[in-house]
This record gives sequence, structure tokens and C-alpha cells, in this order.
Amino acid sequence: MNQTKLLRTYSMGIALVLIWLFFTVATDNFLSARNLSILSIEMAVTATLALGMLLVLLPGQIDLSVGSGVGLIGGIAAVLIFNHHWNAFAAMGAGLAVALVIWGLMGTLIIQYRVPAFIITLGGLLVFKGLFWKVIDSETVPVVAGAGDNALSLLTTHYLTPAQGFLLLGVIAFFVIRASVRQRSQRAKYGFELESSSTAILKIFVALQALLLIILVMNQFRGVPLSVVVLGIVAFSVYIITMHTRFGRYLYAVGGNKEAAILSGVPVKKVIIGAYVMLGGIVALTGFMQTAYSGASTTTIGNLMELDAIAACVIGGTSLAGGRGNVLGVLIGALIMATLLNGMTLMAVAPETKFIARGTVLALAVWLDVYLSQKAD
Amino acid sequence: MKQKVLQVSGLTKRFPGVLALDDVSFDLEVGEVHALCGENGAGKSTLIKCLSGVWPVDAYEGDIWVNARRADFKHIKDAESAGIGVIYQELALVREMTVAENVYLGNEPTNRLGQIDWPKVYAATQSLLDKYNLDLDPTALVADLGIGQQQLVEIVKALLKNTSILLLDEPTAALTESEVDILLDIIRDLKNAGVTCVYISHKLDEVMQIADRVTVFRDGASIATSHIGAIDKSEIIRQMVGRNIDDFFPRRSSSPAKTLLSVTNLSVFDPLENKNCLEDISFIIRAGEVLGFGGLMGAGRTELVMHLFGAFGNRVSGEVICSGKPMHNSTPIDAINAGMMLVSEDRKRYGLVLEKDIGFNQSLASLPKFSQHGLLDHHAETLANKKLFKSLRIKAPTIESMVGGLSGGNQQKVVLAKALMTQPSLVFLDEPTRGIDVGAKLEVYELINQLTEQGKAVILVSSEMPELLGMSDRIIVLSDGKIGGEFVSAQTTQEQLLQAAMTHG
Repeated sequence: MNQTKLLRTYSMGIALVLIWLFFTVATDNFLSARNLSILSIEMAVTATLALGMLLVLLPGQIDLSVGSGVGLIGGIAAVLIFNHHWNAFAAMGAGLAVALVIWGLMGTLIIQYRVPAFIITLGGLLVFKGLFWKVIDSETVPVVAGAGDNALSLLTTHYLTPAQGFLLLGVIAFFVIRASVRQRSQRAKYGFELESSSTAILKIFVALQALLLIILVMNQFRGVPLSVVVLGIVAFSVYIITMHTRFGRYLYAVGGNKEAAILSGVPVKKVIIGAYVMLGGIVALTGFMQTAYSGASTTTIGNLMELDAIAACVIGGTSLAGGRGNVLGVLIGALIMATLLNGMTLMAVAPETKFIARGTVLALAVWLDVYLSQKAD
Repeated sequence: MKQKVLQVSGLTKRFPGVLALDDVSFDLEVGEVHALCGENGAGKSTLIKCLSGVWPVDAYEGDIWVNARRADFKHIKDAESAGIGVIYQELALVREMTVAENVYLGNEPTNRLGQIDWPKVYAATQSLLDKYNLDLDPTALVADLGIGQQQLVEIVKALLKNTSILLLDEPTAALTESEVDILLDIIRDLKNAGVTCVYISHKLDEVMQIADRVTVFRDGASIATSHIGAIDKSEIIRQMVGRNIDDFFPRRSSSPAKTLLSVTNLSVFDPLENKNCLEDISFIIRAGEVLGFGGLMGAGRTELVMHLFGAFGNRVSGEVICSGKPMHNSTPIDAINAGMMLVSEDRKRYGLVLEKDIGFNQSLASLPKFSQHGLLDHHAETLANKKLFKSLRIKAPTIESMVGGLSGGNQQKVVLAKALMTQPSLVFLDEPTRGIDVGAKLEVYELINQLTEQGKAVILVSSEMPELLGMSDRIIVLSDGKIGGEFVSAQTTQEQLLQAAMTHG
């Protein structure tokens, strides 16, 4: 790999480090445990939605309606809990069911009836926004009826105890090491090349150290936020789906060359509808988290979140034309977007300037990627 | 001795790890047609890129002289103003514009207000067409033209820039035989008008017809330049591959067994053209057999294989039975499950995911074999990928190399590997050797033999009649969507095939 290619691969990682350095110097408390905890919750919401967006961007589709969807589904759950005194789990189940149906329907319209995704979901953006405001009657609906907590509100307010945090690390370490050992023995069985065992151990060690550092920092404030655990589960699931399932392989194939995919026996319609249904599930989850984070469903919940999600994907190297993108890139992209917002808030930057700065970073990131890829060829 | 319009000496071009041109020397005499032959990757295209300024002067070593002046091209524009024009294999036309609009695209004459002077555009295009005796309507929409005529538009576009040296990179790869004849006539006219042409082609029959001299390239070096009267096809092939090819079409026939596919009275409607593209087609193919399909471009050959594979058209009538199973309203998934597999004529459009690696592409149609409950078994997949990668001798560092960076021949092998991995009993090969070099062609032919020896059947669609005659057991010629004749290859001549292809038309 030549230098330019290396630079391209790690460019966003480097950018992230530079942004963090900048805010560390420019503010007093960017690296404080409290702020990092807040940042991690904000990032968890953006990243979860962005991972869903990845699933439809990979096969070359798009979804502009997720922001309104986040508001609508969160609103449905809040109304059921506050106005109709439903159990929080039942309310979330109902919201999830609605989301799965709506997104399945949109996927069907897009691939079966060939209305471009851009149009269908642009319509969705407006329709869901209207439905959302009707559902909450354009008022503020708290996520908790009366005092106390419920499963919905706890999504962004619950923290693991320090002990639970370490237990989590132990469980992850156990599965990572077991998977690595299995992988090596399989490769040996098939006669493939093995990387040296010291390299493999070093890689796992470094990864687990990084995880340990995160948990130590989080434990200094209130512990690992539940929403970060939720993001971890979503990220792991999307990773498995994209890299280790037939469905995931088909996502890349449909985005890379739809006609070749059809002639290779890829069930293109099922793949695209499937991607939208999964995105629907993630929209519901994000809706619950974002609404919980605000403490109530209000008319502004979900505003412009679709653009944050798309921006996180694109900054993370996802191609809007389809066929290119991965989970790690999206996580880095989401962290960059969340960091910018968080850091600028600490610096008391005016909202106008925040919009301009985020838009500029998005354009710069894509320009850099195009520039480096041209240089590499 | 004739005047030299272009001289190249000691031209060397290096890429990381590859010597693309190795001390190449070569010259052009005024008004000649000079053919360049060589396998893919022999250096012809790199030479064209040096001559046309795609690679600037400091990107290679050696000298290029145009009309006895040193040519230090820094940009494509420099080469254009020195009178060098290139016609690439892939056409770069705007389909929704007229012929004249395309010819003048980027050079539109304007009046004082900055508006385009359309009457002048059309009149000037017409006079250019008249000058070179070309039969095209300047007001015709490019989308409505055939590929051959579109190529003419490209040539006219080059001529507009006072081109005196025209470089044609495989101009006939996508043309039918009659279109090729027209193009060759045009090249003769250009030659009479004083234009010097460089003609790159894999089709040696054309080279023998049109060229005055031929230079053969191999492994980046110019092997020999000969007058066309002093050389024959087999000598050119010998120079290209560096060895003798005794048997160019090594068909080993095997005894046909049970019927694999039977088609009766098939008629198919083409919704795009709004007419029937296939009428009353009936044939059978048995295991161990190669059935060739010949005919002119647009005769319905591709439409037939695409329909049988479940990827094209609406069936009006008729019956298709594959291994005893009736195929109706089938999809490519059904076709693959029934043991069929298609290798399309357009590998970049219908065959490959170019941004992905070799392994991804090879196993794409066979993933159900490598997954349980939807989860992929990467190890079993990699093993199968490596096996085919090796047995097809795909030239690339590893199975993780991107398909987009491979040569045409190797890309075609990846598509073939994808087809083979599904373990089909009937393979449709639509123009499997188009645009690939002689060595890779021979390997495709060898593969066809292996398939039939394993008791599989091959439907071979080809526009190259020697290939069709050499590799098929039987040949069906399609003409205007109908069967124009059925032949046993061993007792058939090219003339008979051509006649059948033109009977209805």
C-alpha cells in the first residue's frame, strides 16, 4: 500500500484526532469525564441512526425521512405512555411495529413500483412530520407519566454501575478471544496463511485496552451509559449483517452493480425491502433514545437528524452511489459530527455558526476523500 | 522512401513494478494504415496514451517526432493541435443530442451575443460529412443511431480538429460484419484524403484487409514491422504469442447424451422496442453439446439467451423445458436453480462488480452454498475461490485484487469463474471472447471443451464465424428474430452462415 492509500484509509481517523486535540486546547473541560459521558450519549443517538442509514446507502438507496420518523415513532411511544398509561415496553413495541410496517411499505414502493427512493422518502419526511405533530397534538408529551422512570426514559438516563462495566468488559474479552482462537484453528485447518500469534494477541490486547480506558473514564462520572451499550449492540449486529451474512454481501452487490447482481441470482427486491425494514427498526430505536434524551416528545425532535446520519455515513467513507461503506467508518463519522456539536457547544458558539461549521466539515471531508482517491490511482 | 509523419524511438514507460513499454520504436508513413497487433497488455494502449498526450512528456522516456518536429505533449490538447486524434473503444457521445451537436460539443461557434450559431453548426457538419463522403444526417439523434454510425460521429468529431493522424483503438469490437465493412471503406476514404491511420484490432482478418503495414507488440516491446503483403495471419499470431498455434480452435467433440433444454415455438415480446424480438424459435440441446448461435447484431441472439435465463422480455407463446422442468415466468434465481448460468456479452455492465475484489465476484452467484441460516462460511468460500482462481490461471496478485484493475481477459475469467462455481449443467456464453487476447481466447475454448467432457452443455453466441464454426457442434443462425437455418458445423462454411443470417433481413 502506498502512502496516499494509507493516508486515505486513515484520513478520517486522523481528522478525528485533530478535532479532539483542537477542542482539548480550545476548551477547559472537553476531556472531562462528565463531558465525555454526555458526548458518548449524543454520539450513540447519531451513530445508531447512521448505522441504519448505512444499510440503505450500501444498495444505492437513500432515506430522507428518518428524522421525521424518529420524531413520529418517539411521539407515538410517549403518547401511549403519558396519555394512555401504557406500559413502556408495550408502547415501544407498538412504535417498533408501526416503524417496521411503514419502512417495509416505503421499500416496496421504491423497488416494486420504481418510485425513486429520494422522492418516496422526501414525501415521507413531510408526511411523518405532519403525522407526528397530529399524534402529539403539537404539544410537549413527557416520556414518563408521573414521577419515576420507565424503560423508555432509562434508555438515556440509566448507567451501568462500575462493577457492571467491568463485567461487560470481561464478557466482551471472553467472546473476542474465543472467536479469534476459533478463527485461527479454522484457517489452519483449511491451510490458509496465519498471522503470527504475537501480532494477533497484540491486536486483541490493544483493542481491549482501549475498551478498558473508555470504561474507566465513564466510571469516573456515572458509569457506562445504557445508550452506549445499545449502540454497541446495534454496531455489532450491523457489522455481522454486512460482513458475515449473505444478505450483507448482497447489499454491496446491489449497490456495486445492480444488473450484475440480478443476473447472479441476487433477490434484489427482497434485499432492498429488507434493508428498509431493518432501517425502520433502527429508526424506532433512535426515536425512543432521542425522545428519552429530551425527556419529552416535542415538535422539534428529530429535526435534521436525517442529514446528520447521512453526513456521518459519507464522512465515514460510504458512497452515496452504493457499494462502499463499513461500520467502523460510520462510527468514526458519527463521532466526528457529535464531537463538533459538543465541542462548539462548550465553546458557546452561536447556533448559526454551528450549522456553517458542520456543513463545511462535511464538504471538506468528502473533498479530501475524492482528492486522495484520485491521487492514489 | 515515403515521408514519415510520426516517428517514435526508444519509448519506455514504467509503472510501479511493470515495464509497460520497453524501448519501442515505430514510425508512420504519410497516408498509410498501420495496424498494431498484440495481446491485451502488450503495450498498444499505453503507446496510444503516450502519442495522444494522456501521459505527459515527462512521464515516459524516449522521443516522439511529429512531422520531424519533437513532440513534447503536456496535455491531450497539445496532441490535438499537432493533428493527432484518438477514437477509443468506448464511445463518448451524448445520446440525447444530435450528430452535429455532438460533433461541435465544446467547440460551439457563437455570435457576438454569445449565442450558439446553430445554422453554422449544422451547415459545417454537413460539409465535413460531404468532404469525407460520409453518410450521416447531422440532425439525427445519436441515441437513434447504430453503434457503427455512432463511431462515425466520433470520427467526424476528430476530423473537425484538423486531424491528420487518426488512432483507432479497437474500433470494430462492437460492430457487426456489415458495419465493419462500412468502417473499413471509410478508413480507405480517409486514407485517400491524406489521413494517416493507426488501427488496433484483435481481428486479424480486418488487419489483412485494411492495413498497409503491421507492427506486432509483445510484452511491451515492438517485435517486428512488416508490409502486409509479406506476412500472413499465422505469422502475425506467431509473433504475438511467441509460439506457434497449430490448432486455433481445439474443439474436442464428445458424444451428446440426454436432452437438457428444449424450446418449442417460443415467441418473445420486447417491451422496450414494443415488438416481438423472437418468433417461433424451436430447438433442443443435449448434454455434452456445444450449440452455436450466429446471426447479425440485433438478430435476437442476446435476447434469446437472456430470455431463457429469465432476465428479459415477456413470453407471448411457446414452451421452455429445462431438465424436465417447465420454465415459465422464471427469474434468474429460478434459472440458476434449474442448473443454468449466463455469461453476458457485456461483462462490465452485466457481469462484474468492478469496485469489489475477485473473490467477491467469483462467489456472488453461489453464496447459498457457503451459508447456513444466512451466515457466511468465509473459509469454505475462500477455499472455493482460490481453487477456481488457480485453475483458470487468473493473472492477479491474490483473490483480494480489485476486479476493476484487471485486463479484459482476466475480467472475463472472473465472470467465467462465477458461472462455473454455480456448477451449472447448461452454460450460456454470450460473446465470451469479445475484446480479450489470443491467449485468453484459447483458454476459453479449452474451458468449453472441459465443460462438455464433464457432460455439461454450452450455448455459444458469437459474431466471429470462425469461432462459431470451430467451437460448436451445431449452429443455429438467427435472422430478424427467427431461425434462419440450422447447420452441422463440420459440413458448413462461413458463406452458408452469412447467407442464412441475411435471408429474412
